[in-house]
Amino acid sequence: MANEKELIFEARNLTKHFGPTIALNGVDFKVYRGEITGLIGENGSGKSTITSIAAGMQPATSGEMFFMGQPHSPSTMLEGAAAGIGMIVQEQGTVSGISVAQNIFLGNEKKFATGPVVSSKKMNEEAKKALEAIGFVDVDPAMPIDALNMQDRKLVEIAKVIYNDPQMLVVDETTTALSQKGRDIIYDIMKKMRDDNKAVVFISHDLEELMETCDTLTVLRDGNLITTMTKDQMNEDDIKRHMVGREMSGDYYRNDFGGTISDEVVLKADNITTGTGMLMNFSMELHKGEILGVGGLSHCGMHELGRALFGEEKLLEGKVIDMATGDSITSPLTAKQHGYGYVSKDRDKEALVLTESIKDNIMAAGFDKVQKGLFLSPKASKKYVDKQKADLSIKCASILQDVQYLSGGNKQKVVFGKWVGRDCDILILDCPTRGVDIGVKAAMYHLIDEMKKAGKSIVMISEELTELIGMTDRLLILKDGELNGEFMRTPDRSANDLVDAMI
Amino acid sequence: MEATAEIKTKARTKPDTRLIGELAPIVGLVLVVVIFTLLTKGALLSSGNLQSLSSQVITTALVTIGAVFVFGSGYFDMSLGGCLCFTAVIGGQVAIATGSLLLSFISILGISLAFGIAKGIFATTVNVPFFIFTIVLGSVISSVVLVMLGSESTIYLKDAVKEIPSLTFTQMTAVNVIALVVFFAVCLVLFNYTPLGVCIKNLGGSFIAARQSGINTRKTTIIAFIVSALGVAVAAFIILLRTRTVGATTASGVGNDVMVALVLGGMPLSGGPKSKISAGLIGAVTITVLNSGLTIMGLTTGQIQVVRGIVFIAVVFVSSFSYRGKLLPR
Repeated sequence: MANEKELIFEARNLTKHFGPTIALNGVDFKVYRGEITGLIGENGSGKSTITSIAAGMQPATSGEMFFMGQPHSPSTMLEGAAAGIGMIVQEQGTVSGISVAQNIFLGNEKKFATGPVVSSKKMNEEAKKALEAIGFVDVDPAMPIDALNMQDRKLVEIAKVIYNDPQMLVVDETTTALSQKGRDIIYDIMKKMRDDNKAVVFISHDLEELMETCDTLTVLRDGNLITTMTKDQMNEDDIKRHMVGREMSGDYYRNDFGGTISDEVVLKADNITTGTGMLMNFSMELHKGEILGVGGLSHCGMHELGRALFGEEKLLEGKVIDMATGDSITSPLTAKQHGYGYVSKDRDKEALVLTESIKDNIMAAGFDKVQKGLFLSPKASKKYVDKQKADLSIKCASILQDVQYLSGGNKQKVVFGKWVGRDCDILILDCPTRGVDIGVKAAMYHLIDEMKKAGKSIVMISEELTELIGMTDRLLILKDGELNGEFMRTPDRSANDLVDAMI
Repeated sequence: MEATAEIKTKARTKPDTRLIGELAPIVGLVLVVVIFTLLTKGALLSSGNLQSLSSQVITTALVTIGAVFVFGSGYFDMSLGGCLCFTAVIGGQVAIATGSLLLSFISILGISLAFGIAKGIFATTVNVPFFIFTIVLGSVISSVVLVMLGSESTIYLKDAVKEIPSLTFTQMTAVNVIALVVFFAVCLVLFNYTPLGVCIKNLGGSFIAARQSGINTRKTTIIAFIVSALGVAVAAFIILLRTRTVGATTASGVGNDVMVALVLGGMPLSGGPKSKISAGLIGAVTITVLNSGLTIMGLTTGQIQVVRGIVFIAVVFVSSFSYRGKLLPR
C-alpha cells in the first residue's frame, strides 16, 4: 500500500528564518495523493510556515520543494494557485464593498467580459455553480458580501478556492471560526478531494477533529518535524507528548470540585445596555473568590461584557457597581482605582504598546504602586518590573526589550504582569490564553487558580469551552446579548451541555 | 511558576540597535558642525557667529524641549510658531504700556498657558484630527497678530511709557543659560522621574492601550500642553529681552524648526515610546547650526527652506529603518 501512494508535494530540508528566529529548521515533509495529511503543533511550531511557503505567500530561506514532480518555488500566491495549490486561511480573506460573485472572481473578471464590459449575469450564474459545488446553496451571488456573516463569508472564500480546482488544498485553522454546518461543508470538501485522488493538508488545534479526519498526522515542534503517524498510530497522549516534548502533567486545569463560593458579591452589572447594542438589559454578579466563566458564540456580547465591567464600554443604561464601595465603574481609570485589572482580547492593539519596552508597558498600569509623592524612581520601577519578570517567568533578554519581539505567550505574560503586579482584587480576562502555547497556558491556569485561592475574583471570558469547563466555578453562556444558561462546576460537565445553550 | 512555563519560550531577540539609535543624533550634530565649519571656512565658529548661534539655540531649544511632551503624547502641534509670536507681541505691548517687565512676563505666561490648556482641552474632547486644528489655530493667530499690530509692523521697547533697562551681554547670557538649564532640568525630571513620562510614552504609543492601563489620558494630555506652553512662554520672554523689539515675523521659523529638530534629535514625530527630552536639545542645536551655516554660505531664505526640506525627508527616511513603526503622527 505504502508503495502505491503517489507523492504530490515534497519539501526537502526546508528552512525559514525570521531574523534570528528559526521558524523552520530543515524540515522534510511529504504529502501524498488520496490522503488528508494533518499538521499539528503549538503556536510558533512552524505549521503555517510550511504551507504558506508552499502556497507562495513567503519565500523559504533555504531548501527545495517539488510539486507534482516539478521543482516548485512560487514567488506569489498567484503562482502557487496556478501550480495547483489552494489555501483557505484563518483570517478573513474576502473584500468588502463588492458582491459575493465579484469576490469569487476577483482578478478573473475577464472571463465574463465582452470588450470592457463585464457581464454580472454570467458572473453570478458561474458563482452560483461555484457555491453549489461546495454545497452552499442558500446564498444569492449578487448579494453584497457585507450582508453575510463571518461564517458565510468564509464559505464564499472556500468556494473561490475550490472553483480553481486545486490539486492540493491547504486548510489552515479554518474550522475554529465555523459552526458545525460550516465544518461539515469543509469536512465534505476534504473527503471529496481525497476520494478524487487529490491531496489535503489540514492544520488545526483541535486534536479530536484531526484524529477523526486525517489519514496521517505530522507533529511539528519549534520548527522541527518530530514525527509522522498513520491513522492507527494516532493517540491523544502520544500526540500531546510529541507536541510539548515531555509528558504533560495530569492537572492541566483545576482539579478541585465541590468547593463553595462566598456569598459576598464584589461586582455587579445592573441592567446594562451597551452603546453597541450587543448587551441589552443585562445583569450579573461576581462573587468573592470566584472564577466566573463567560462563554458563547462570537457576537454573543461576552467581549462587550468584559469591557463594560472594566468601564471601557459606553453604557446607555444601567450601571456596573463595585459592591465594596458602592461606586459606579465608569472608566478604566475608576476600575483600576478600585483594584480591577483587564486583559483585552486584542492583546497587540489594546493591551500593549508593541514598540515599547517591557518595563514601560508594565509601568503603564503600575506606576502608582511605585510612585513616592510626585516622584517615580527608575530604580524602584526596575525592581517592580523585575519582580513581575521573575514571578511570571517572562523570557526576555532584558526588561528594556521591546515587547514586539516577544512570543505570543511572553507578550501575554507581560499583560498579566501589568495587573498581577498591582495585586488586583478583580481580574477580567478576555480570552487570556488566546494564541499562547500549551506550556504557557498551563502556567496561566495555575496562576489564575492561585489568585482564586488568594481570594481574588476572576471573570474569565473564553471561546474555548474546555477551558471554561476546566477552570470556572460558575459559567454563564450568552446568546445574542442575553443570558441563556448558567452552569455550576461539576466534574462531569460536557461541552455538549453548553453548546445547546450557545446555539 | 514552576517548570510548566519553561517549555519553548525562546525570547526573540534582535541585534541591539538601541545604542546606534541613541548615538545617531549626536553623530548627526557633529557631522553638521564639521561640514559647515569646512564649507564656511571656519566662519560658522567665529566668535560673532557663536554669539548669535547660542541665542538662537536657546529659543528653539526651549520650545522644542517642551514640544517633546506634546509630540510624545501623539499630538502634532503646528501652532507653536504662531503661539510664540503672539505671546511675544502681547508681552511687548504690555511692556510698552506699563513699562514693567514683570507684568510683561506675567501676561506672556498667562496667554501661553491659556493657549496650552485650550489646545489640551480641544485635543481631548473634540473629535477632529488635532494637527488640522493646530494648522488653523496657527494661521488664525498669525492674522490676529497683524490686526493687533495695526499699521506698525514692529514695536520697540524703547517706546515704553517708562524706560525698560537693557541687559548687558553678560546679563543676557546668564539669563539664557539659566533659563535653558532650569527648563531642561525640570523637563528631564518630569519626564524620567515622575509618572508623566510613562504616561506620555504610552499615550503616544497607543491611546487605547494607555486608556486600558488606567492612565488618565485627559490629564496627561493637558499637562503635556502646559509644559509645552511653559517652554513657549520662557522663549517668548527671552526673545523680547534680547531683541527689545517684536513684530509679525518674530520667531517665524521656530514653528517649523521644532518639528525638524525633534526628528534630528532622534524621536519620531508620532511620539510614543521613543520620545526623549534630549531630542529637544540636540535637535535644536543641530537645526540652528544648519540654518546658520546655510545663511553664512549666502543662501537665500527660499534656498534654505529647500535644503531644510531635503534634510527633513532624508532623516525621516533613514530613521524609518530603525523605528519600524510609524514615524508620522496619527
